[in-house]
Amino acid sequence: MATLDLENISKSFGSAKVLHDIDLAIRDKEFVVFVGPSGCGKSTLLRIIAGLEESTAGKIVIGGQDVSGAHPVDRGISMVFQSYALYPHLSVFENIAFPLRVQKMGADDLKARVHRAADILQLTDKLQLKPGQLSGGQRQRVAIGRSIVREPKVFLFDEPLSNLDAALRGDMRVELSQLHRELNATMVYVTHDQVEAMTMADRIVVLNGGRVEQFGTPMELYHHPATKFVAGFIGQPNMNFVPGVVAGVDAAGVAVDLDAGGRLVLPIEADGAAKGDRVEVGMRPEDIRLGEGLSLNVKVIERLGGVTLAYGALGDDTRFCAALDGVAPAREGEPLALSIDPAACHLFNSDGRVMRRKAAPALVA
Amino acid sequence: MMMDRYSLLQKIGIYLAVAIFLGFILLPFVEMFVVSLRPLEHLFSSPYRFWGENFSFDAYSRMWETVPLLGRYIWNSIFISGMVTGLTLIFVIPAAYAFARLEFPFKNGTLGIFLAVNMFTGAVLLIPLYRVLRTLGLLNTYWAMIVPGVAFLIPTGIWLLRSYLEKIPRELEEAAFVDGASRLYTLRRVVLPLAVPGLIVVSVAVFITAYAQQFLFAITFNQVRELQPLPAGLYEFIGYQDVTWNEMMAASLTGVLPVMLIFLFLQKYLVAGLTAGAVKE
Repeated sequence: MATLDLENISKSFGSAKVLHDIDLAIRDKEFVVFVGPSGCGKSTLLRIIAGLEESTAGKIVIGGQDVSGAHPVDRGISMVFQSYALYPHLSVFENIAFPLRVQKMGADDLKARVHRAADILQLTDKLQLKPGQLSGGQRQRVAIGRSIVREPKVFLFDEPLSNLDAALRGDMRVELSQLHRELNATMVYVTHDQVEAMTMADRIVVLNGGRVEQFGTPMELYHHPATKFVAGFIGQPNMNFVPGVVAGVDAAGVAVDLDAGGRLVLPIEADGAAKGDRVEVGMRPEDIRLGEGLSLNVKVIERLGGVTLAYGALGDDTRFCAALDGVAPAREGEPLALSIDPAACHLFNSDGRVMRRKAAPALVA
Repeated sequence: MMMDRYSLLQKIGIYLAVAIFLGFILLPFVEMFVVSLRPLEHLFSSPYRFWGENFSFDAYSRMWETVPLLGRYIWNSIFISGMVTGLTLIFVIPAAYAFARLEFPFKNGTLGIFLAVNMFTGAVLLIPLYRVLRTLGLLNTYWAMIVPGVAFLIPTGIWLLRSYLEKIPRELEEAAFVDGASRLYTLRRVVLPLAVPGLIVVSVAVFITAYAQQFLFAITFNQVRELQPLPAGLYEFIGYQDVTWNEMMAASLTGVLPVMLIFLFLQKYLVAGLTAGAVKE
């Protein structure tokens, strides 16, 4: 059992507080991704879990054991670094064997373990090469090999794919997901790329300014973002936020007069909102259709074949993006009439908190 | 590359400048060599002749007879410099690593003091050093020439090696730490192998400086003939009647030869070491 519990973790550098009372309970064999913009504290949090950095306050519990203050090896963790951190003067074999050499493991055992790791990562024919002779993807695999050879309870990944080109990143994503299934281990993965988070994670932790904004499955985050920040961070292209005023609240939901013109009645629980409150309506670009109701002044068109992205302004100054199916009849510099299903809209109060949607798509089967 | 293209005139200028500099540095060696070939009476003849028919390598064999301990002096020179280099490295490696990686009070202050020590030449401290060595009973031993040499070279070594060690990515050490390696194990298995070019630069710099500075310590702290290094031993070519210049030059060249050979061999490491890590590969 390798559960990982963080209890009230705080971290300050001098007077700057970078982590505020982080409380997380990560289950056994779970793949959890920490995601957030740069400077949100996600790497610091990972380094605290690893034991490379000490938390100012709080406890780290792995498999029911309090390991705060313990050496990384005694925590039962291993870590893959962003820059791979391979030893350039050692062969692939010696790189993977390094943690075992430190333990002074016997030669036969060591060889067997290294070969098993190399097998899993398809590195068997590369064992005699130096890291400098490998491609980026292979180096990444060696780094992963070095982390699995010790058979730790928890794997930590610090932006391991950010040095790879886009195509390779896609491949490695699939490989890492497979590896997680094969090893059946608890994994914590840090990235700033929400696509990596969405595709690989069992659950995602969205961090912002040293606080947990939301902790949930990818579909929870997508369909029920807790805050405006999460809503804007998850999803590609980003969600549009259209300002408006609450015009009335009734059984059907909340009626909003958009500043850009038009009224939407959203099936959302009012949650204390009253007539006259400033709100923002969140609309995902992919929920927008051609139709009536919204008028977009198109400035830039991007045609990707399957979708057409239309960027522009709603009204005078609300930046807006629509992702339309196929080759949509949009032209740069011309207005485009659009509509959205009110059930697909999100509503945020002036604090950026979400109001509960009544109808939402089922969360993964 | 376009950047490397020069016009003919520029090329001529560059080569001319290089030639002047090289001439400045190398001509003394040429003169030394020519003098070593000349019979002694030729040296003072006028008009000066650049080449004569009775030039020979005689001086190279006669010098061993004029100064019977010459071989010993050359060996002493190399031995003293070698010991200085070895001892300096033993002190400098852990110190430079600490300065490069650890945080401790007065770190920058200490580095500054080390730099300040570098500003003193040995000559200023000869008298105090003499008293220290006498108290310790080290006068007239090899140690009298080795200990001050090491002391003066540690700061230089720390400064050189520290900047090299700082270029080794910290993540490598963090990775080793996460895998359970101790600081010393990491230093031995990860840091030092990667620092080999830097270590060679430091060793060569220390060896050469030690080779040059031993003269001062030798004539001040040592009276024992058998322990003298070459630069002090060369004095024996100065006789009561005359100075056998040709043999002295021959001995000087012979003494410098081993160092030159080492230099030639380590040259590529030196260049690589001085620029390594300057550009991200």
